[in-house]
Amino acid sequence: MSEIFLYLAALLIAGSVVLGVARLIRGTTLVDRVAAIDMLTIVSISMIALYAHVAGRFIYVDVALVYAVLSFLAVLAMARYLERGL
Amino acid sequence: MLEILAILLCLGILASGVLAVRLNNLMAAMVSAGLSSLFASVCYVLLAAPDVAMAEASIGSGLSMLIFLYAIRKTSNAKE
Repeated sequence: MSEIFLYLAALLIAGSVVLGVARLIRGTTLVDRVAAIDMLTIVSISMIALYAHVAGRFIYVDVALVYAVLSFLAVLAMARYLERGL
Repeated sequence: MLEILAILLCLGILASGVLAVRLNNLMAAMVSAGLSSLFASVCYVLLAAPDVAMAEASIGSGLSMLIFLYAIRKTSNAKE
């Protein structure tokens, strides 16, 4: 039963990566690209967490935590730049 | 399942690298380079190297993006 959910999660993650990269390629404005990279960061965090569960290694969850904090910082810096602050 | 995700990540690295070279807007090119670093970090995790992935995430996606932002902000006065 849980295998079905794992495959479903992998399928959703793959679809999200495809859609995010398509938005990044097509993105007409800069805000679209920043939003796309924010979404792809969160998808990557979920991918690392899924792999930590599949591989059975808890040390990978720490990587996901570090990544969440740093991606928040990067997106915050880009938002400040778009507001002409920094 | 994971092989498909790894292949997708490698295609994402390729697409974002080509985009970072070909885009005219400096900020958009920097965002594409950051995406390439992000996908490379996830690839390091899939290749069972979590410490390298952590260093890549902190340096490639966090620190270098901040430095690029600062540099673009400092030098974009004379541009157009």
